[in-house]
This record gives sequence, structure tokens and C-alpha cells, in this order.
Amino acid sequence: MNQLDYFLDRSAAVGNKNHLLTKDEFVKEFTVEKYQYIYIPTFKQEKDIRATEKGIGAAIIEVDYAISETGTVVIDSCNENLRLASCLADELLVVIPLSKLVESLNDVADFIEERTSASGGYVAFITGASRTADIERVLTVGVHGPKEMTAYIITDL
Amino acid sequence: MAIDKQIQEKINDEVLYKNLKNFASAYKASKENAYKELDFESLRKRVYDLKDRNLDKVMHQFETFRKNVEKHGCKVYQAKTGEDACRYIADVMKKHDAKYMVKSKSMTSEEILLNHYLEKEGLQPIETDLGEWILQLSQEHPSHMVMPAIHKTRQQVAKIFSDYTGEPVDPDDIDAMVKIARKFLREWYFKAGVGMTGANVAVASTGTIGLVTNEGNARLSSTVPPVHIVLVGYEKLCDNFHEALDIVRVLPKSATGQTITSYTTWIKGRTPSVNNADGVKETHYVFIDNGRLAFFEHPKFKEALKCIRCGSCANICPAYEMVGGHVYGDRYIGSIGLILTALYQGDEAAKDILKMCIGCRACSFNCPSGIDLQSLISDLKLVVGEKYGINPIKKKVFKQVVAKPNRMKSLLSTGAKFQFPLTRTCSTNQEKIIGKVPMLPKEMDFRKFPALASKTFSKRFYKDGYGEFTSDRKVFFYPGCAIEYFYPEMGLAMVKLLQKSGIQVDIPKKSACCGIPAIASGDASNAKTMIYNTLNTINNIHDYEACLVLCPTCGGAIKHEFLDFTKEDPNRYKKASMIGEMTIPIGKFLEENNIRFKIKGNKKVTYHTPCHDSRSLGYSAESFLKNLLGKKFIPLTDSNVCCGFGGTYSLDFASISNGILNKKIENIQATEADFLVTDCPGCVMQINGGLMHKKIDVKVLHLTQFIDEYLEIVDNK
Repeated sequence: MNQLDYFLDRSAAVGNKNHLLTKDEFVKEFTVEKYQYIYIPTFKQEKDIRATEKGIGAAIIEVDYAISETGTVVIDSCNENLRLASCLADELLVVIPLSKLVESLNDVADFIEERTSASGGYVAFITGASRTADIERVLTVGVHGPKEMTAYIITDL
Repeated sequence: MAIDKQIQEKINDEVLYKNLKNFASAYKASKENAYKELDFESLRKRVYDLKDRNLDKVMHQFETFRKNVEKHGCKVYQAKTGEDACRYIADVMKKHDAKYMVKSKSMTSEEILLNHYLEKEGLQPIETDLGEWILQLSQEHPSHMVMPAIHKTRQQVAKIFSDYTGEPVDPDDIDAMVKIARKFLREWYFKAGVGMTGANVAVASTGTIGLVTNEGNARLSSTVPPVHIVLVGYEKLCDNFHEALDIVRVLPKSATGQTITSYTTWIKGRTPSVNNADGVKETHYVFIDNGRLAFFEHPKFKEALKCIRCGSCANICPAYEMVGGHVYGDRYIGSIGLILTALYQGDEAAKDILKMCIGCRACSFNCPSGIDLQSLISDLKLVVGEKYGINPIKKKVFKQVVAKPNRMKSLLSTGAKFQFPLTRTCSTNQEKIIGKVPMLPKEMDFRKFPALASKTFSKRFYKDGYGEFTSDRKVFFYPGCAIEYFYPEMGLAMVKLLQKSGIQVDIPKKSACCGIPAIASGDASNAKTMIYNTLNTINNIHDYEACLVLCPTCGGAIKHEFLDFTKEDPNRYKKASMIGEMTIPIGKFLEENNIRFKIKGNKKVTYHTPCHDSRSLGYSAESFLKNLLGKKFIPLTDSNVCCGFGGTYSLDFASISNGILNKKIENIQATEADFLVTDCPGCVMQINGGLMHKKIDVKVLHLTQFIDEYLEIVDNK
């Protein structure tokens, strides 16, 4: 299995929806109105909001890295609004430039080191929706945060 | 409540039984899947190595961590005791006029009873992990380190939530209950003045903590309130992110069988926070000693500080599976719980629960940090045995009988002669058993006991002329008490088989106990006498190709415990070490010497792997039997899970032993095999006893008997 297939396999295993798109296809599909919070610097798309107790509908965020070993995305979440949005959105969508896919957890060690060396740092590994199995071990999503997660993998980035 | 009462209460709890049994089997499958394609041994070796350090090293890591966070204005507090930590946290809350604190799951806060302290101070901590919240509302404490409310049913949770919300809650709708938690806990994040988390790792190189969660509650607890307190034990420190990630790689796999959890969060203090006047979060780190630091310098107990709190030692523990974490542990749970209770709370708190370890060693082989948990428990059993005494009857029997080989022989020979009024023939398999043991308490009546053999193994060995066979090829055979007094036929079957292959078998002049019954009961002094006795009976070991055992528990003792107990005596130690190196189970010897067989008959066979075969001697006869029998070999589910025997454990904790045995029997019945083969006389005693008691017609044979009766040696020449 190649790195991408491995990532897709792991990501699907935790219930994520995965879409492989080109830049153009993504731009065509992307509708600003669908999202309450947007942070996709590569496509110059941003919409800032401070999520409150009520939560927000959908947040879409470009990731810093994705890790095939575990199907994880890595997001520098030091920005408080981004962090709140990713914690409180009902649906979390992520945009992964394919070039940011790395093989193993240890491949992002330097990145976490760099982003948490100075004052204040918050790097999140996210691998699926907020989940619990605390009642009779029945897997249930959305216990505190997102109830679903979708990944757009941009194949020509 | 006395421990036996607590055990009985849990044994009778059908919900607990069902939940833990289902979890145990689901866990094993998902864990295996999570580690698929990975080398578990090398991964855990990495964690073991990075956690292997002395006090100097840990304090150096701490100073680096402290420097890295203090330079940005974070506060670091070193709490000597649990109460110091509680007081500091309460003071931070009071200083901020914060009545409420949201908390993510922290076993360390359970250790120091933080919630009790805060509540007494009029402050209100709110557990935000769903399981912990359920327990907080019902005023209970966790029964598992990762799944705290595993003992609760959906109906019980519905009742708790209904009482809390004042609304009816559908007891069958788990999704709706999770929504209730989402709604109410969401409010608390925004009401709370302080958020608290633990830390799964604390990375010294930057002063970053790592948090492993599934629910996302630690993210909210560390984000929404203006103040973040991190409660962390020094043992969670590591040098850098590569080490931290090595831990993160194994933690979820061993905890719940997940490849990784939904969230792994890396936080450096003083993050942006609009709820603070200066726009920056106030961050406190409370590093807790509470007895830890001393043990970094202890030659053996420092091992316990390698724990990453995955809870897997509970997940695979057959005794935990019967009683749950409210009995099997205290504030910490599972094998590590027994140990940490002794280290942190003192041996008085641990003296009863330590005895509940059956000694199967599954935890030691399963620990992702490579801690030999069972051997720590065994050491602690000796400490509390010495200090608080052991069962006086046992002590007497060990001292007056088992540690005195001549007396044991004459007593058991007399017993064999005079037992006839009690013996009868079992109707299902025609074996001689004790019909009814006089005055046997009801809970111990779950298996039939074998009658003592009318002649001991040694007596028959010489009388039937096996001692006269000579050859250039010689092995030494240590029969142990079970073969000597109960099952001579197992030993004789082996002797016949080896002599047919031209191998001379020598046996000890005098039979002596290997010491395990005393060690397992915490009786160090009698164990030492027994071990010395045994060593005295094994001489000129270099004349032999191997020292063979049919009881892997004896074999494991010779290989491992004999070394521990002869440490102060160089001659004996050297002898023990030489014998230990040559000690192997019979199956392994046959395979290594390429003694080949073909099968007679057409019976279906299944195999139980004795704990100490696989985990003390590194052998299982499963592949041997499988290759030999092909389709007639039916694999046994959980073949390598303990049968519940554990020697005197099966009398001390009869109801746990019986519970474990029942699961074994269920699995045996599911194979529909005609024979159960195993290679430990203790397992035979337990499993055969249980099958006879239930009148289940499956024949139990030691490997040597199976070979003797159903296989033929293929002549290689």
C-alpha cells in the first residue's frame, strides 16, 4: 500500500469521509456559505468567527501535515478562534495538500518542537470525530466536539 | 468491607461480569489489529529504554522543562504530597474567584483525591470526561483507568442522568445520553474559571505537554477557561518529541486497541486567551512527588514509574476480569494498581489486594512499557507476607511439611493409604477422585480433586525398573510435587517415551518442592528452604543434555525464582544459573531433538497453553500439535489465558478461580474436541477437575500421556 492509500485506509477506519480532488475541482466545489469558519491560506480563503457555547455548524481548515501511519491531520491551533472553531464545530472539514502527507508520527517531531518552543503553542493531532465509548463501550460520536469529519486531499498541491 | 465480601459482591454482579468479559474479548481483537505489521517487542523496548532513568536524570528533565515554561511566565509548583498539590490548586481557584473548574480525565487527580479536597473547600470541580462525569454524579470512583465507568449499564447511566436533569431519559438510547452530556458539559466549559488537565507526556526540550484523548474534552478544558492548571507526575517527563511520539504510538493501541485516539494535543503554556486581560492564558504546572521520587532510586520498584497508564494490565488480567477495578486495585487499577497502591499509599493499603494476583504473568508480557509487573507484585507479596504474616495454616504446612521433604513424603504416603473411604471413580472418565472432600466450603466445591497416587512417581520409577536403563545420552528429570504425588503416570509416560528413543532419564534421589507455593503466598523464608532443598537434589548437571520438567511452573521457578533466592550465596547462585539454563519443558526437548511421531486414531484434539510454559519457559506445544494433527487439531480460543488454578490461589480465591475456569471450559466446549491436551499438571488438576464436576466428557491429558497413548514414534533411521 502506498502512503496515500495507507492514509485513506486509516482515515476511513475512524469514520472519516475522504475526497481526492485537484485544485480546480476543489475550487469549483468550494462554497463559502457552507462554512461558519474558514482558514485555507493556500486558496486565500478565510472567514473568522469566535465560536461560543452554542457552537458552530461547519469549520474548514487547511492542515499543516497529514500522517499516513495513523490517518491523522496536524493543525497548528495556537490561534484561539481556529482552536475554538475546530473544538466546537458540528462538522470539521480539513484540506490536505498531498505534498504535506508524511509517513510516520516521528516525521512531525521537528514541527511540534518548532511550534511549541516559544511562548504559547498548541499543535493538534486530529484523527476523526470527537468520540466516546464510555457507556457500555458503545462507540458514539460528537460527545463534546465535531460529530463528523471530512478530508479533502488536494492531489496537485 | 473485608476483601472476600467485596470479591463475592463483584462475582455476583452479572452486569460487571458481562461487561468485562465482552470487553476482554473485543479488546484482544482490536489490540492485535492495532499492532498488526508492527513489532510490539521493539516498540515496548523503546518505551522501556526511554523511561529507564535515575533520579538525577528525571530532575534534570524537570529543570529543563521548568526553565522552558517559566521563561514565558508560566508558574511551576513542586508538590511534595497530594495535599500540597490540592492546596495549590484550590488557591489558584480562590485567587481567581473561580467556583468552578472543568477537568479532563486525570488518574493523578484520583491518586491525590483532588475532588474531595476541593469540595470540602466549597469549590466545585466538574469532570468532563463522560465516564468520569457519570461517576462524579453517582459519587463513585473509576473501575478502569481508561474506561472509568465500564462497570455501569446504560440503564444505570439513564437513571443518573435523569436524576441530574430532572427529565426522563430513555435507558436504551445511548446516543441521546451522550447528547445530554454534550449539552450540560458544554455549559460548564464556559462557566468555569479554571480548566485542569493531566499530561500523558511532558516534553523537557520545549516545556510542552502532550494529551491523549478521544472526546476532545481536554482540548476544551485547556482552551475555554482563562486559567489552565496541569497536574503531572515527574515520571511523565521525557527528553524530546521523538520520545514522546514513541509513547503516543503505543499508548492508544494498548489502551483501547485504537491505532491512535481522536485527539493528541501538544500544549505549550501561555496560549492566546481573550478571556484574560492581557490576552494570554495563565498556565500553572503542578509537578507531584507524593512518594514517586524516592522510588527512582530503588533497584526494582523504579520499574513501576515506567507506566504510561494505558490500563492494558487490567484488560488482559483474568482476575481483574472477574472482579473489576473497584476490588482489583485502589486509586490505580489492574496490576500496576496493586503495585502503585503499595508504593504510594503504603503496604497496609495493598496487603490484601496484592494476593489477588494469580501470577499468570500475562500483564508482564503485555505491558507496552516492558514492566515485569508480575515480578514486582511477587516481590511485594513477600514484603507484606513478612510484615503482616500469611495465613497461619499455610505457614504451618509450608514450614512443617512442604519444606521438609521426608515428612511430606511420609505424610502423603500415609494419606494415599488411608484416603480410600473418600475416593471413588469418576463416571465420565474412570479416573480416581476424592468423592466428597469433608468440610469443604461451598465456594470451593467447583472441581473434583484427584486422589493421591497409591505409589509415588519415584517409587514406581525404581520399582518398574526405569532406573536401570542406561545410555550415553542422559537427561535429568525434575518431577515436582504434582507428578510425584498425584500424577506419576505423566512422568512415567515421559520416561518410557525417552527410553524408547535411547535416552536415559535420571531423577532426584529425594523429591523436593520448587518453592512456588510459598513464594506465591508471600512466605519468603520457607520458599528459600524449599529452593535450597531442591538444589541439593540436583547434582552433576553437566552430565546431562537437559533438565526436563513436566510442570512449567516448577520450570519457571528453577529458571527465574531460584536466582532471586540464591543471590547472597555465590555457589548456590552459580548452580541455580547452570540448572536454569538447561531447564526446558518436554515438548521443546522433543522438538529440538527432532523426535518425530505419527498419530494413532482419529480423535479431535485441542490445546491449553499453560501460563508458565509460554511466559516462563518461552514454549507452547500448540504448533507441535497442529503440525502433527492437521485438521484434527482444533485451536482453543484464549488458549494462553490462565485456567484459574494458581496453586493455593484456587482455594484462597475459590470464586475467582472458578469464574476463570468456567470461561476456559466454555471455550473448550466450543471446540467440540474429544481431548484437551496441556502440559502442566496444575492446569490438568484444575481443568479436569472442573470438567468432571460438570460431568463434561472431554478427556484431559498431559502432553506426555497423549504422546504415550495416541502417538507412535517414527523411526528416523
